[in-house]
Amino acid sequence: MKTRHFSILLLLLATLLMPSVAKASDDGKEGLDIKEVIFHHLGDGYGWEVPFSHVYRIPLPVIVRAEDGKWVCFSSSRLQKIETVTGHDGKEKVEAVPQIVNVVKGDKEYNFVLAHISKHANKVVQIFPISSESDKKEFEDALATVAASDAGKDAIVDGYVEFDGQYYKEYKPLDISITKNVFALLIASVVVTLLVLGLARYYARHTDKTPRKGMGFVELLVDFLYSDTIKAALGDKTKKFAPYLLTCFFFIFVMNILGLVVIFPGGANLTGNIAVTLVLAVIAFVMINIHGSKHYWKDIFWPDVPLWLKFPLPIMQFIEIFSMFTKPAALCVRLFANMMGGHMIVITLILIIFIFAAFGAVAAGGTVVVSLLFSLFMLALDILVSFIQAYVFTLLTTIFISMSTENPHEKHEEKVEHLTLDEDGGAAAGPKTA
Amino acid sequence: MELFTPDFGLVFWMFIAFIILFLILAKWGWPVILKSIDERADKIDKGVEYAKEAKAQLDSARADAQKYIEEAQAKQAEMLRDAAKMKSQIIEAAKQEAAQEAKKVMDAAKVSIEQSRKEAELQFRNEVSKFSLEIAEKMVRNQLQDDKAQEALVDKMLDEIEKN
Repeated sequence: MKTRHFSILLLLLATLLMPSVAKASDDGKEGLDIKEVIFHHLGDGYGWEVPFSHVYRIPLPVIVRAEDGKWVCFSSSRLQKIETVTGHDGKEKVEAVPQIVNVVKGDKEYNFVLAHISKHANKVVQIFPISSESDKKEFEDALATVAASDAGKDAIVDGYVEFDGQYYKEYKPLDISITKNVFALLIASVVVTLLVLGLARYYARHTDKTPRKGMGFVELLVDFLYSDTIKAALGDKTKKFAPYLLTCFFFIFVMNILGLVVIFPGGANLTGNIAVTLVLAVIAFVMINIHGSKHYWKDIFWPDVPLWLKFPLPIMQFIEIFSMFTKPAALCVRLFANMMGGHMIVITLILIIFIFAAFGAVAAGGTVVVSLLFSLFMLALDILVSFIQAYVFTLLTTIFISMSTENPHEKHEEKVEHLTLDEDGGAAAGPKTA
Repeated sequence: MELFTPDFGLVFWMFIAFIILFLILAKWGWPVILKSIDERADKIDKGVEYAKEAKAQLDSARADAQKYIEEAQAKQAEMLRDAAKMKSQIIEAAKQEAAQEAKKVMDAAKVSIEQSRKEAELQFRNEVSKFSLEIAEKMVRNQLQDDKAQEALVDKMLDEIEKN
């Protein structure tokens, strides 16, 4: 135990030396663009970085619909070429340089590029060279309006993309590429499928046996959600909604956890992406409302309030309908903000090291230890948050569904039944209230 | 802000991925798992109930057994008592019977003894009288060998007759 403590301490001390090395090699380079680093880590991308390299990427298919409605597919590795360049200090460096992708389909030719200086930064756009006179004139006009306010060589001109010092007319194609996030999504889906089908297969093979080890943990989660949350809230409607709710929980949970893994199979900030949480929220919205009871809809369109609140001005109706949408919207934003926040804090804590590196090696050394400890703590906290957020999303969806499907008349009768039972049974157990 | 504008491609794939995942799991995953969990929970509940029942039954069986044992013991004691009583009764009866039988035999023996005694007496009397007659004859013959004695005797006899 003591030796372990000692080695951890030694490791931390060794990190004190790192910034001085980093500083020595980074000399002469322009200041770190912190904002870009953060957004690069949080955002999506074509291709998936190979662990510990910023140059090499795992190629993924880019699927776009060109301007003429034809679908074009090519490998994301073609968006960049690997070049060896000589830096300011005379050292050779391997760098990924963006390039134009030329796809020939039949007798037509399509040119794509990963936009950088454009409205659609970091997206694949189709480009057309500005060749004809009328095109040139149009571009001059567009440039003039921008140049007035933001003069410069790298000005972003609406409808045009600058590449390699030259402007091209751009078209943002419909993009359903398998990006890093999409690929991570597919990995998460496969993981969830394997976990759940594995557990199902275990049950099919061993009747009346509790799974152990890994499967035991999956079962623990299923049982925790199913018996304690879903069944308790939904009662006899459990069978109808349990598959959706459990799928939802496991999908979110696996995506959250995979997002915390730094290298390849993980690392994509999936649940911290608003598109993912938006879809989850839309599906939740559908599930909440599609099985809404008569009582639920009556409460929305003709609630039990004084008449002047709902007629002739439908104030209450407006509020009710608004709340119909805010519920899933809150689900969407909560998950998105929590997960993105967690990622952002960890990245920022790491970036503090590089910010402090500017003040000399000693300052940086101290920051390294503190930053690493803090980010380690944040990552541990994020594991907890991963579970809690997945659970909260599922729990709230469950509650909303139970609220929308509940029928108060039925419940009332049930309660009366219980009461009479109690009177008959004397010291019987109390009525089960949901 | 790129971060806050949902990307169409990701929305599209997310939707497809979720729907497919849901359909696969809803068909082959969850029903099996949930059924197993429910069944197992039921079985455990039933098992506990069964154990409780079994324990109650065992307790009552134990009480029953104790009761039966006590009853049997009581019965046994009673039977032993009865047997003892019967034994003494039988012995008593046997004794009585034996005594009766013995008495009968004795009586019979007495009667026969009495008879044989009477017979013997009779015989004896006859014998005695015979002997006495003989003796008397002999004596008389002896005594009456002279005439004088004969006369005395006759006299005596006559006297006796006269007296009567």
